[in-house]
Amino acid sequence: MGVVWWHAGLTALWGGLLALERRAFLQAMISRPLVAGAGTGFLLDDPLSGLSIGLVFELLHLGGASLGGAHADHETLPTVAAAAMASAMGNATGSDGTPAMWAMSILVFAPSGWVGRRLELRLDARAAKYVNRARDATNVQEFRRAARQNLRAMWPQFVFYGALSGFACVAGYLLAPLEQGIPLAVLRGLAWGYTGMSVVAAAIAVQATRAKGRSVIASASAVLVSGVAFFVWYRGTQ
Amino acid sequence: MTRALSRWTLWRVFGRSLFIQAGFNTESLQTLGLVYALEPALKELYPSPDEEQAALQRHLTTTFNTHPYVSAAIVGGILFHEQRLASGEEGPEKVAKFKSNLMGPLAALGDGFFWLSLRPAVGALSAGLVPLISTWAVLVYLVLYNVVHLTARGRLFTIGLIYGDGLVERLEATRVRSLGERLRALAAACAGGLGASLALSFGVQQHDVVGLELTFGCALAGAFAAFLAERRVSPYVMLYVIAAAALAASLVSP
Repeated sequence: MGVVWWHAGLTALWGGLLALERRAFLQAMISRPLVAGAGTGFLLDDPLSGLSIGLVFELLHLGGASLGGAHADHETLPTVAAAAMASAMGNATGSDGTPAMWAMSILVFAPSGWVGRRLELRLDARAAKYVNRARDATNVQEFRRAARQNLRAMWPQFVFYGALSGFACVAGYLLAPLEQGIPLAVLRGLAWGYTGMSVVAAAIAVQATRAKGRSVIASASAVLVSGVAFFVWYRGTQ
Repeated sequence: MTRALSRWTLWRVFGRSLFIQAGFNTESLQTLGLVYALEPALKELYPSPDEEQAALQRHLTTTFNTHPYVSAAIVGGILFHEQRLASGEEGPEKVAKFKSNLMGPLAALGDGFFWLSLRPAVGALSAGLVPLISTWAVLVYLVLYNVVHLTARGRLFTIGLIYGDGLVERLEATRVRSLGERLRALAAACAGGLGASLALSFGVQQHDVVGLELTFGCALAGAFAAFLAERRVSPYVMLYVIAAAALAASLVSP
């Protein structure tokens, strides 16, 4: 199956809009991994893949926050890119994405969080030129033009993050044939790797909460959940 | 008598304050966003172009940066002062002082509550609900978070507009700090519970003899990752290591 270009276009548009929501407008958390991932999967007819990938990135970036002028790693870009890649791979093989595809996509795109942060810093530096334009416009009493400089800074964000997201979707379609040639034992290992990464991401999230006594709280919660699960299983065997 | 802004202009300013970070840059941080938000109000308060120019320059030449949600309180407070300034009741130094005094402390308040408490709590809770309610967890996330977020933005804008400098006392009356600590504890509990749930369901899904070993393997990996995370080991490194370990386990398993 060839590349479905309208999927790539849709992903690019979605990725660009999410980059704006994350940073420039509203910040209603639509760009958080759990939401952004599920949304990407929904757009590409595979919400489960998007949700599963979003879950890992949500936990991985749970405590990430831009404080003052310092930025944390970008959580939206890797999520949308990985969800798009996994969904596209699933589409190309005529099924939904599998845990092995989820793991591959996460491994490929996890470091793009760092790339996203570097890009954000570059775009912040570039946006400084709009301040001078706003001052110039104010000096000649063009107040509306001065105020609108604020919105002009959004375009590069939309274009760059959208393009990277669209590229990830295309990569999913192009890499699908390779995935089909991978030996079964490796695919099984990747599927196991997905769950392993989820559990590790949950452990990283515990530390990221910065709660007092977080290790004790998380351990108690894990024991409680295990106890309930054992009780349910035990009742089922009686 | 103090010159008052129309309701329509107040709505416009509030709507525009949602774009406060659109023009974020390394030179003046959120200044462009602040000017964009204030422009309709300054236009109404200062009919003379020279006065409007002076008002815009007052805000454009100073650096502004705070938490995007609590910026609503500062924008409201600036309107409080600009209305008095336009009526000749106070000088321009009042509005400058208000801004510079509040943006730092309010940024710390917003970062501590919204970014470091509410968001992790809602994120971890929703992630914990994924095994139970699947994609509905996304809706839970958006509703829970935005009920607090949008209410806070609206309330903060109104408090700033009505009380001006008095907003500090109003904010001190809230119990944001203790609530934040409880939210962080909730986040830790949800993340711990989810980790255990994922490890258990993983073993159950295997339907063969290695299921139990995989569950224990995952639980051990989770505990070790928590230990390493406390020692600031890169999360990316941990992801790749666990993926490599899973691959190795699969290759040596029957």
